[in-house]
Amino acid sequence: MSIEEQYRTRAKELLSGGAVKMVIGYGKGSTSDRRRPLFISSTDEVDRLVLDDACIQNLSGYLVSEGLLSDEKRVAVFLRPEGIRAINILAAESQLDAEQIVIFGFDVIGTEVKALKGIHVEEFSDVINSIKKGAPEAKEEELFEKIEKMSPQERFSFWQEEFAKCIKCYACRQACPMCYCRRCIVDSNQPQWVNTSSHTLGNFEWNIVRAFHLSGRCVECGNCDRACPVNIPLRLINHRMAEEVLGAFDHFAGMSKTQEPVLASFKKDDSETFIL
Amino acid sequence: MAKIGVFICHCGENIGAKVDCTKLAAAMGEHPGVAVSVEYKYFCSDPGQESVKRAIRDNNLTGVVVAACSPRMHEATFRKACAEAGLNPYLCEIANIREQCSWVHTDSDQATEKAMDITRSMVEKVKRNNKLQPIEVPVTRRALVIGGGIAGIQAALDIANAGQEVVLVEREPTLGGHMAQLSETFPTLDCSQCIMTPRMVEAAQHPKIRLLTYAEIESVDGYIGNFSVRVRMKSRYVDIDKCTGCGDCITKCPAKKISSEFDCGLGKRTAIYTPFAQSVPNIPVIDKANCIYFKNGKCKICAKTCQCDAINFDMEDTFEDLEIGAIVVATGFQVQNNTMYGEYGYGKYPDVINGLQFERLASASGPTAGKILRPSDGVEPQTVVFIQCAGSRDPSKGVRYCSKICCMYTAKHAMLYSHKVHGGKTHIFYMDIRAAGKGYDEFSRRAIEDDEAAYLRGRVSKVWQENGKLMVRGVDTLLGRPVEIAADMVVLATAIIAQPDAKEFAKTIGIGYDEYGFYNEAHLKLRPVESSTAGVFLAGACQSPKDIPDSVAQASATASKVLALFSKDMLEREPVVATNNEATCAGCWGCVLACPYNAIEQKDILDRSGKVIKRVASVNPGLCQGCGTCVTFCRSNSLDLAGFTEKQIFAEVMGL
Repeated sequence: MSIEEQYRTRAKELLSGGAVKMVIGYGKGSTSDRRRPLFISSTDEVDRLVLDDACIQNLSGYLVSEGLLSDEKRVAVFLRPEGIRAINILAAESQLDAEQIVIFGFDVIGTEVKALKGIHVEEFSDVINSIKKGAPEAKEEELFEKIEKMSPQERFSFWQEEFAKCIKCYACRQACPMCYCRRCIVDSNQPQWVNTSSHTLGNFEWNIVRAFHLSGRCVECGNCDRACPVNIPLRLINHRMAEEVLGAFDHFAGMSKTQEPVLASFKKDDSETFIL
Repeated sequence: MAKIGVFICHCGENIGAKVDCTKLAAAMGEHPGVAVSVEYKYFCSDPGQESVKRAIRDNNLTGVVVAACSPRMHEATFRKACAEAGLNPYLCEIANIREQCSWVHTDSDQATEKAMDITRSMVEKVKRNNKLQPIEVPVTRRALVIGGGIAGIQAALDIANAGQEVVLVEREPTLGGHMAQLSETFPTLDCSQCIMTPRMVEAAQHPKIRLLTYAEIESVDGYIGNFSVRVRMKSRYVDIDKCTGCGDCITKCPAKKISSEFDCGLGKRTAIYTPFAQSVPNIPVIDKANCIYFKNGKCKICAKTCQCDAINFDMEDTFEDLEIGAIVVATGFQVQNNTMYGEYGYGKYPDVINGLQFERLASASGPTAGKILRPSDGVEPQTVVFIQCAGSRDPSKGVRYCSKICCMYTAKHAMLYSHKVHGGKTHIFYMDIRAAGKGYDEFSRRAIEDDEAAYLRGRVSKVWQENGKLMVRGVDTLLGRPVEIAADMVVLATAIIAQPDAKEFAKTIGIGYDEYGFYNEAHLKLRPVESSTAGVFLAGACQSPKDIPDSVAQASATASKVLALFSKDMLEREPVVATNNEATCAGCWGCVLACPYNAIEQKDILDRSGKVIKRVASVNPGLCQGCGTCVTFCRSNSLDLAGFTEKQIFAEVMGL
């Protein structure tokens, strides 16, 4: 039985027994190579679930939709390893109760879909540990290296060009499971810290604020990068920030549901004297 | 409509010589919203303050900017003046055009330009200032003094003698600290124990002082006026209520060869012991690591000897929770271990000792009953070499700073030695003789002139053993030639260092420390006994190396600070505290973790039926210290700091 069939059967069981109130998975998209999120709450719809190598979106962000989890009922969700890490962060930041989330874990290697064993997020710690140790995919690595080799001036002008394209649509924010604030700092206009108009200064401000807000939190699922209508390679920024926090603090985002946020926590044995 | 008064202070020449104050006043007068813009030589002076008050009343000012020195200097002065003129004090801001402008620039035109930017920026800020009211918090009138050395005892006695309650906590089994170990004290040569032990007894018997010895601070929570302190009472294995201090157990204890910490390794003690005969309280403790019963399960001779049934081998650590209003930290110092100087042979040759060990040799209560005898063979040394700065002022192997007391105690050692060993010779290698203090220079001159201490200006390169002598090779830089001295004993004037766990402890109580582990005062000159944490004060050598007079003076100063704090029923606190916008708070609790003062709690927002609809962060204004860490962390921009609101900061930045 294919993994798709296995997961359909499991979804049917969970829904019919009332163990979960909803399954968030993937359905057919507008073209044959695209998948779109699917929200099903009755067993009749289960056969619309699709699971193949085109299922790339991180669906964890839908879990924090207002009111979805407030009845304390469980919700099942299809997640890749990055999505599972995102659940840990959302749980660590009190945005959801990890007990309410039933995970349909999977990973795609080449074109092959592989099931990840486990139901609740803490059962996936081995999977997460192995990604922490792993390297990024080969073709991406080239791009990362190219950027790293640039001089600071070259890199600045690279980003200046990239950010010049930004139209401040905030699609990156909407797509990101970590951007759950009800009011984003860019929507706060008393005072207006971040310029709303899409000129160089405002675009830099927004993207730098975004990078900092995601440092130690981004799981590199790529939702923002894919959502960007003008193709700014946002994943490069996220990756760099992830490397920074890993190198400086040995912090790998989403290791556990009790992980402390890297920029807000401090250790009393810190070598710096300004930590009292 | 804003009516801002701008008051530009020349600070004598400090600002006036560099910044064109007339031009600055004229430029600020043109700025929108500024009703008054004037300059004056010294606004902090009485006529200066009067003119500010008059300007507020005459013009109905809505805000004041004083362009002058750092706000740390005179913000309080001008805020008070504003309050006296009927303006809310938090509508007054300081534009720092001295430290941040005139003092650091050489070009007058550019400095004037910068002063305009700084002042304009503060004018823009003050337009958005809100009237704030001080926060009132109650005060628990009970002080905690940590450390039972001379500083701690002095602070405790001063506070208690003014009628306030004190809890004095000492981690050793007895009060006394380092001063109890000393022989005679400079510059008067009065016996240290003779002046120390009566104070120890006085502290122990004082009705207002609760003495907790063999106890350590486990945790400190809360804030000025309202600390919650947990003290670990280490198990003595001797019931303090039953024990009469007869000492029979000590006499009978078969484990007699334990190196005595109090005698710096020169004497021996038993496993059940009091550090010295005059210990306060005179209640022994069992040293678990060296006790035969704890090691082998057999012995209990002390328990059999005790007629009061005071020995209890099953005793466990207990905890005391204390409500405290103010804390005096008097945790003292340690001496550096000199083994890092391999060339001096400390730790290798038994007759190379440190200054504190010499104190024990010279002390009447010491292992030699006050006779100066070599540790190796008990023979009276005929030639003694003292090496000053053995660790101090040596950035490569020791510490960079001067330990302050060594010049004086080395002179004292030479004197005591010459008084006790007639005909004995002393040689003192020194870098400089630092003898600043009342009667100090006279004292060191006395050592040279009356007691014939031979001072040699120079360093020692090597000490080695030859024919039963310690050969000391050094240099006399004044004569420009090498010297070699055959000595019987070498005394190293070891550096004073912070307690080895000083940094750890600083984190427990939440105060700052320097690179060496000495505790930081709030302001070196103007607030030398206050720590950076309100309600926590510093006394004695935990702040920096100090002699006894300085430690005692500082301890009395902390007592006066504590008493001033206790003189009020309610404390007024700066209303600079964080507030949270509960509507936009996402409840991620990053601020809860980020807050170093545990001032942020989780708060449930309930609907009418009592169901939790949202959890948000809530700042306790009593605990908040206004540091702003939470504000910078908050991603949704929900937290804001009164007095430094986002609107104010933004206006300040845009005003530049």
